[in-house]
Amino acid sequence: MKFSKLFLSALVASLLFVSCSEDDNQPNRYIPLGTYDSGVLVLNQGGFGHGDASVSYISFGFTTFENDIFSLVNPDVILGDTAQDVGFNGASAYIILNGSNKIEIVNRYTLKSTGTIDEGLSNPRYMAVYNGKGYVTNWGDATNPNDDYVAIIDLATNTITGNIAVVEGPERIIENEGKLYVAQTGGYGYGNQISVISTANNAVTTITVGDVPNSIQIKDGFLWVGCAGRPIYSGVETAGKLVKVNIATNTVATTFAYTEVTKHISNLVLEGSSAYYTVDSGIFKFDLTENSLPATPKFTTTAQGVYGVYSFAIKRGHIYVGDAGDYEHDGHVYIYSLGTEVEQKPLGTLENSFTVGVIPAGFYFNF
Amino acid sequence: MTAKKLFLFWILLLCQLVCAQQDSIVRLKEVTVSDFQLKNFSRTQSVAVLNDSIIEKNATSLTTLLNYNSAIYFKENGLGMVSSPSFRGTTAQQTAVIWNGININSQLNGQTDFNTITSWDFDEITVRAGGGSVVYGSSAIGGSVHLNNILGFKSTVENTLQLGYGSYNTFGGHYKILAANEKTSVNASISRNSSENDYRYPGMAKYNENGQYYNTSVNANFGYKISDSHYLKLYSQLFEGERHFSGTLAAKSKSKYQDLNTRNLLEWDAFFNKWTSRLKVAFVGEQYKYFENAKTTLFETSKAETFISKYDLNYTINKKLSVNAIVDYTKTKGTGIQIGQNTREIGSVALLAKHQVLKQFGYEASVRKELTDNYKSPLLFALGTHLDLTKNYSLLLNGSRNFRIPTFNDLYWDNLGNPDLKPENSYQAEIGQQLKFKNVFISATAYYNDIRDMIQWTPNTTNGNFTPGNVAKVKSYGAELVLNWQAKLDNHIFDFRSGYSYTISKDEETDRQLIYVPQHKANASVAYSYKRWAINGQFLFNGFVYTPSQKYNTVEEYLVSNVGTNYTFGNKITYKLGFRVLNIFNEDYQSVLQRPMPGTNYAINLIFKF
Repeated sequence: MKFSKLFLSALVASLLFVSCSEDDNQPNRYIPLGTYDSGVLVLNQGGFGHGDASVSYISFGFTTFENDIFSLVNPDVILGDTAQDVGFNGASAYIILNGSNKIEIVNRYTLKSTGTIDEGLSNPRYMAVYNGKGYVTNWGDATNPNDDYVAIIDLATNTITGNIAVVEGPERIIENEGKLYVAQTGGYGYGNQISVISTANNAVTTITVGDVPNSIQIKDGFLWVGCAGRPIYSGVETAGKLVKVNIATNTVATTFAYTEVTKHISNLVLEGSSAYYTVDSGIFKFDLTENSLPATPKFTTTAQGVYGVYSFAIKRGHIYVGDAGDYEHDGHVYIYSLGTEVEQKPLGTLENSFTVGVIPAGFYFNF
Repeated sequence: MTAKKLFLFWILLLCQLVCAQQDSIVRLKEVTVSDFQLKNFSRTQSVAVLNDSIIEKNATSLTTLLNYNSAIYFKENGLGMVSSPSFRGTTAQQTAVIWNGININSQLNGQTDFNTITSWDFDEITVRAGGGSVVYGSSAIGGSVHLNNILGFKSTVENTLQLGYGSYNTFGGHYKILAANEKTSVNASISRNSSENDYRYPGMAKYNENGQYYNTSVNANFGYKISDSHYLKLYSQLFEGERHFSGTLAAKSKSKYQDLNTRNLLEWDAFFNKWTSRLKVAFVGEQYKYFENAKTTLFETSKAETFISKYDLNYTINKKLSVNAIVDYTKTKGTGIQIGQNTREIGSVALLAKHQVLKQFGYEASVRKELTDNYKSPLLFALGTHLDLTKNYSLLLNGSRNFRIPTFNDLYWDNLGNPDLKPENSYQAEIGQQLKFKNVFISATAYYNDIRDMIQWTPNTTNGNFTPGNVAKVKSYGAELVLNWQAKLDNHIFDFRSGYSYTISKDEETDRQLIYVPQHKANASVAYSYKRWAINGQFLFNGFVYTPSQKYNTVEEYLVSNVGTNYTFGNKITYKLGFRVLNIFNEDYQSVLQRPMPGTNYAINLIFKF
């Protein structure tokens, strides 16, 4: 009796002491906002028509890795078919499901499902967020080149309040100072423009860049556009280009082009004073002050058996590569050193790899 | 003496008469069905005939008929949607569908969608298991399904009107007229099927949205006897249908699909003593329109037109030995936005021999070679024997080489097609045992099939584009069991039919069972009738299958049971009124991943014969 009382008070005291000490001694310690904070969400597209899109999680220290976290948290919800992109608004993540024509809304840190938008989307692709509104690019019907649009979502009610018509195949979309920049890859055809939308009045102007602009970035008053060029099966293959656009005047400042038509640029990312992009299995680095594109890659992913880099991101000194493999079986994520951090191995050194879901389509960072 | 002479003369005359009569009976038998080799060159393989009484007992689609009455497994994208067969563990393109002797698999994608064929349109549907490329050409690897219209020359006028109505506003209507005399024969019919098909998914508050369909088919078949030894026949079919394609649990759909198929065959049969000559000219047209959004008028379309001329000459050397030569020329023109416009010409020669060495033992041997610029054509062959060891027991052995030629999509698709593709190639062997008694039929067949150069679309290693190549090797083996039993006791008639198939079909590289090929499939039907009243039950079991999805990589096994009853009124003019409960145990099942099939549903049916 006496002993148990003593034991109990000791226990209570120790608990108090522990919690107090944490508060007192580490006031700035970061408290995770959920299981999936402080890491990267890997969006896996899934097989087209298989309805098996999924999300994987890799912590920043690469110590925690988990596949299929959406189903784990929400066992009764099917995420959907052909996941395409994730848009963030505060604590909410908007997962765009191209094949399902819907958006699943989750808490970005816990992955808990909070809602669905399944009206008003038609072949949705990518999303940008600005001023309480979501802007989602939509291809419309493949057979109709004239029904493409950017849907406007009121993020307070999660309903679509209007559409902005654009030319065929609006793909990636980014926001800068109240303006939206939309890469017009052409959808089922081949586009060569950037649509610029003023969010104040939804007016659209276009800038002609190179064929199939698939990736866009803004830095220091310039829009950088990675253009793939037309693929071989288009009939007339064209070479990839990097196009630098002055966003004050919406005019092309400089075009950096390859001469070989088989060189198709993808995955342009600006990091520091460099641009990184991929051509097939090669990762290229281009100093923004250089005059011509490098002929050879800094490193390649061929040792990992990657045919072509499907998805690509750079964060905190690491390069993330998504490998779709044969598009049927589980894909892989390879993480390479960027070579910029203290005591880091040189650029292109493989640091980690993970087997994720089918077709890893994008990386989204929670921090 | 004179009486004796007279008697002898009479005997002689009688014999001639009898012989002549037998000749013309044989001739008539050979005339009624166009697919001569099916009746005369399939003795060493397992062949199952589904006659009109079995056909009319089943729902209208060929998928349903064969699901419950054959070893073929079907993968159906929701009720009434695209349906692909797997016969003996092979792919959908490795089952040939033969319409009145003509191969009608799509030239565009190489397969037949079994939900675009109305089984009521045919008088007899035959399932021939195993290789048949020597006679039937491309795709007859797993086996072939034969759709036959019968043209008789016995005086008759027979009308059949069949009307059905069921759950989800499902309507089926069919009218057929058979009219014949000794000179002419008419076998014409029209069918119409439609359904809202908006069934509730069992155990869910979801419905099968956008699954409505309709189809219409018209069949007109004519026979004309020019003389005792010359017959002219015309077979003609038009099928037109529209299906909205329902979605999956993960993705709704708004698309629809239209099919337009035309088949025409003109045939001239001539009999000269020991020679039988058949000249056939056929025209087969196929066209599809795919509407990504059913609400718009925009669509994508492709079509193929095939002209076939075939000369088939059979020589009966003696009662035991006959030889058959078939020369064939086929020209196909394919047109579409993705496949451009391309023409393919194929010539072929086939030689077949049938030798009944002893009463109990005979063999069939055949070879075929094609001539074409499109692909390297292998020498195809088949060799089979039957050994009737006792009055009731037979042993069948068969081995063959078969192929599946590349389709227009494989060859010409939008700069990604591969014009250098080889045909898929299969070597196979089977051994069958049959036990036949008056009321019982049992058969057990084991087979082995080695398929190489399988055409698959895979991403290439330079730029990740999907292109077709002869990349896969598959080994399939398994066994099929059939047990049928009939019994009659006064006015009580019992009928039991059942089948079980065990299938292993493995990709050689991955050593995994192919997707959508169950290891186990079983079906059974039981029927009992007493005078004018009948009841029946049907059961279908499919074991689990692998799917292409990594996350949801199997579809569970299922057992579906149907029961029905009918009563026949009238004498000269009969009305058969029937009622069926389908999926009576409300099995919650999917044939294809995330595409639930309907729960318990009902149908009434009236067959009116006059």
